[in-house]
Amino acid sequence: MIGAPQRMKLAAVNAASERVRITVQNLDKRYGSGESGVMAVDKVSFEVRQGEFVALLGPSGCGKSTILNMVAGLIPRSGGDIAIDRDEVRLGEVNRKVGYVFQRDTVFPWRTVEANIGYGLEIAGVSAAERKDKVTRAIATAGLEGFGGKFPRMLSGGMRQRVALMRTLIMEPEILLMDEPFGALDTHTKLEMHKTLLEIWERERQTVLFVTHDLGEALTLASRIILLSARPGRLKEDFEVPFIRPRDAVSLRETPEFGRLYSHIWHSLGEEFRRTKAD
Amino acid sequence: MMKHSSAKVLFWQIGILAVALGIWEWGYGLRSVAALKPFVPGILDPYFVSKPSMIWTSFLKLSCFGDAAGFGACFARNDNNLWLALLVTLKNMWWGFALGTASGVLCGLILGRSDYLSRIFQPYVVAMNSVPRIALVPLIILMFGLGDMSKIVTAWIVVFFVVFFNTFEGTRAVDRDQIAAARLLGASELTVLRTVVVPSALAWVFASLTPAVSFALIGVIVGEFIGAERGLGKLIIEAEARANAAEMMVAIFVMMVVGIVLATIVRQLQSYLLRWQPQFESQS
Repeated sequence: MIGAPQRMKLAAVNAASERVRITVQNLDKRYGSGESGVMAVDKVSFEVRQGEFVALLGPSGCGKSTILNMVAGLIPRSGGDIAIDRDEVRLGEVNRKVGYVFQRDTVFPWRTVEANIGYGLEIAGVSAAERKDKVTRAIATAGLEGFGGKFPRMLSGGMRQRVALMRTLIMEPEILLMDEPFGALDTHTKLEMHKTLLEIWERERQTVLFVTHDLGEALTLASRIILLSARPGRLKEDFEVPFIRPRDAVSLRETPEFGRLYSHIWHSLGEEFRRTKAD
Repeated sequence: MMKHSSAKVLFWQIGILAVALGIWEWGYGLRSVAALKPFVPGILDPYFVSKPSMIWTSFLKLSCFGDAAGFGACFARNDNNLWLALLVTLKNMWWGFALGTASGVLCGLILGRSDYLSRIFQPYVVAMNSVPRIALVPLIILMFGLGDMSKIVTAWIVVFFVVFFNTFEGTRAVDRDQIAAARLLGASELTVLRTVVVPSALAWVFASLTPAVSFALIGVIVGEFIGAERGLGKLIIEAEARANAAEMMVAIFVMMVVGIVLATIVRQLQSYLLRWQPQFESQS
């Protein structure tokens, strides 16, 4: 392994404020019971502070999405504690401060782009005028001008994911949970999405927990990366990403610093990939 | 596949119709030519299948259009003239269809959303569905009498099961992530039902409505066959008693037109409400 994570931490330029928003302690997830049970997540602990953009990075099947879904209260945990702003997360309870973006396409196909983006406001009883105003701005932010009245089937995968992103962001969540939101997109579309997300985040500075198996994506977007081991998911490394902001999703990848960090983590990840295969 | 112009298609469609009508009208007459007699099947006998010209005459008579006393007088004289019979059949069909669809959608949604209830009711649903609906008609007439109510109940039962099963399956097939997404955006259980489950299941409901319309018509007509005072089915039974094939044909053609018109209405409604689906692209 090249370079210790501690040293990189010193190089941090992302000054996050001290307030802890997400606390995960000794989190376990076991599927099934007894001998046949599978440990998916094993004693994972970490904290996410106000305004941090944290990427949960790990090989496929390491339980990173499972962790995120437990933080969102979508699935039960087998052990440990999760708190958002010191309040314990309970299964099935929706926290209005939290927004969630799925990997799968969850845009409502029977609603137009506008109606999709305005969904949360609509069911919250926000007046049509205020909704229209906010939706129009969200459409502009997402670069979806002219598509407001279209149904999702007329849109490309990338555009649909923009709709899903704006549908969540329009609710102005303070904490954003994202489960490989760009995982199903091609490289070029992915880069476009990175640009848009960076632009929004560098302006709004939400607290983000972002699950991905794409190292380049994690380095481009995140201010901190939590690296997980292969199944069962354990915390392997936790380090700051030192690149200054605002970042450019494309040119950042051409800097030597990016390459150095990429190869360091790649070796670390490589071990994990080899372990997964050996199993 | 080769592309054929719509004019050519129309030409063949009209051609086939003209030939069929021609054979029907004059085919049996060819038996008087001795050499052709073996080639003309007995089934073309107007006693059995009537003739287009006779059907037209019967239509004018039954519809009061050709009555010597004038339309009004004829209409008042016969309380099961073609229009009244059609009206009664349509009315019963509509109520059977509406009640069957409403109760089918409601039950399908409830059982589709509740594993507990669907497990409890599953054997009953399977048992009820195994009974041929037509076998119930005499019983229904016994219970509800010869009037309109027995026809409505028959159509209701027939429509209910078709719509119920489709709604149930459609409710089951709703994307779980879409439900989770709605919840995370603040939707309550009831809001999820209204804004995600119902629109998502609507495609399945509509898939059942076109057959449901035909089934409602079948239900009402069968009810009228077995025991009724009025209606198109009654018209056919009366004509049968007098061995009048032409009048039966009139009623059959009217039913055909009714079926086409209603199916078109359902399809128009479907293509509007489901305009977000790819197969209805051209309409939106």
